Amino acid sequence: MKILIVEDEQELLQSMMSFLKGSGMTCEQATNLQEAVAKIDAGDYDCIVLDIGLPDGSGLKVIEELQKKDHQTGVVIVSARNSLDDRLTGLNIGADDYVTKPFYMPELVARIKSVFRRRSFQGQNEIVHNELRVIPDEMLMYVNDKLISLTKKEHELLLYFLSNSNKVLTKESIAEHLWGDHADMADSFDFIYSHIKNLRKKMTDNGGKDYLKSVYGVGYKFSNE
Amino acid sequence: MKLLNVTNRYYIAIALALLLISSAFLSYRVFYLVDNEISEHMLFEKMEIEKQLSSQRDIQGIQFIIGDRIEIEPLDKFTTFRVSLVDTNKYDPYEDAVVPFRRLSYEQLIGDESYRITLWRRLTETDDLFSGVAFTLLLVAIDIIACFYFLNRWFSKRVWKPFYRALSGLTHFDLHDGERISFQRSEIEEFNTLNVELSKLTDKVARDYKNLREFTENMSHETQTPLAIIRSKLELLLQSEKLDSEQLGHIRSSLDSVNRLSKMNKSLILLTRIENDQYNVSEALNLADLIKQQLDKFDLFISSRDLTVKTNIEESVTLNINPNLADILLTNLLSNAIKYNRPHGELNINLNKERLIISNSGAPLTINDDQIFDRFKKGEQPDSVGLGLAIVKKVCDHCNCEIHYTYEEDKHKFTIEFGTGKINGKVEEA
Repeated sequence: MKILIVEDEQELLQSMMSFLKGSGMTCEQATNLQEAVAKIDAGDYDCIVLDIGLPDGSGLKVIEELQKKDHQTGVVIVSARNSLDDRLTGLNIGADDYVTKPFYMPELVARIKSVFRRRSFQGQNEIVHNELRVIPDEMLMYVNDKLISLTKKEHELLLYFLSNSNKVLTKESIAEHLWGDHADMADSFDFIYSHIKNLRKKMTDNGGKDYLKSVYGVGYKFSNE
Repeated sequence: MKLLNVTNRYYIAIALALLLISSAFLSYRVFYLVDNEISEHMLFEKMEIEKQLSSQRDIQGIQFIIGDRIEIEPLDKFTTFRVSLVDTNKYDPYEDAVVPFRRLSYEQLIGDESYRITLWRRLTETDDLFSGVAFTLLLVAIDIIACFYFLNRWFSKRVWKPFYRALSGLTHFDLHDGERISFQRSEIEEFNTLNVELSKLTDKVARDYKNLREFTENMSHETQTPLAIIRSKLELLLQSEKLDSEQLGHIRSSLDSVNRLSKMNKSLILLTRIENDQYNVSEALNLADLIKQQLDKFDLFISSRDLTVKTNIEESVTLNINPNLADILLTNLLSNAIKYNRPHGELNINLNKERLIISNSGAPLTINDDQIFDRFKKGEQPDSVGLGLAIVKKVCDHCNCEIHYTYEEDKHKFTIEFGTGKINGKVEEA
């Protein structure tokens, strides 16, 4: 998957580059509008991670530029909290999704992958992980070809893990992914725990491996082995 | 009490005191003078009688031209030259009552015979005198006070006009709308000084408030990027395979702190945005529907705590409010009511055309009731940022609703009174 990250903040750019590369993506970078426009003219990307507030203009111009060519590129906007309007305008003129600063890296990865799936296969593809098969738009999972139904939250959780396999996901990032603004409810971590327990049971009971590892107090990891 | 009434009250009190003192003095003086005059008059009479008696040997022939009652009685023997002058009461046949008289009596030799001559003079009754004086003075007092009162009123209204104008300007002064107060120039120097100082003060307050707002705004916006960077670096660090549990613990606490900061930041930005009126587009929203949606969202958290939800929701109550703000308002209130509830507790929601009441069981606050909406005021909830209710208050202010908090019967109770004109309870077309 080829990604262009447009972000003027060097340190944040470097973090995103590292994290996305660590998630198996090929990344290029642009730190201003001019550079970004030049890059999309020169090559095709599966997805653009776009900061709106760029030093030489609004990142929304990148989307406009993109619309001029026949493209399959997804756009995920990275916006500051104060720019609700930018976000809405962005979505209106063709951006696929947005994250708000400060965001969790695994969340960004999940969004990119979801956009990519929607763009390339109209959501009809499957995610395969060894003996597991998950269909993103339906709350279903196959373990060794056996059909198992999932609850909505279990399904969301599983997709989040699969998008970020072998990465440590903090409880906070999982809570925010599942409950958004309600993530800070005092007992949301207990719910994550019980969802993970149920998910693990559904996989192991049907001959799957136990991929869900707890990482010392910090969070969880969906291991590759 | 109004300034005018205070001054009037003083004026009247002083006038009354002065009148009282002067009427006492006046009565005393009048009484004294009248009294003196009578005695003097009687002594003149005595002199006249003496004169007549000594020139006219025959008592019967004496022409008494004096109006007072005179008694002449023969005495056996002349005893004294003393003249006695006493006040006494005597029966007056004309009035058919005992009335005060002054009696002057002395002995006189007419020829060889001695006589006692007694003059009686009717005195004005002291009571009558006093009441006469008092009545007159009372009339004077009423005149003076009435004059004082109306003059003072008229005068004060005229003189104090700039003051009242300035006062009304201050009353309507609102930091949020950023309008300056226009003070009227006055011919009175003190008022002009006051107005100049007030202008300076309000300008300064407005300036400081603006600076503070800008500072909060900039601060919240500028911290977003560093926070995002710190969080991203920690997340990268977390992916390292070589971490031991101690290092993981450090990363975890760092992440916790970043999350706290980030939540605080998010809330502050929200507050600033409400203050800056960035949520100015409102529409009539059906509150009953919104509450039900919110309860659905919180369903998991409600059932996990085994809370009993009692609702008394009137359908088709609509409120003119920005949809984002409505969402924030209800989310914050309900999540509070769930988070700080006790297990197996109660959550009550009452909605009608006038008000929304959300109450939940729980231990009493450790802070004062009136501090509950203050920023960064929180009870014993270590993981709370302390801005949730500040935001709720701000949202209520923004849509002209009034919110208050009470704790009764072991329940925290938040009541939102919908302002007039903002609410319409009409049944919506299906």
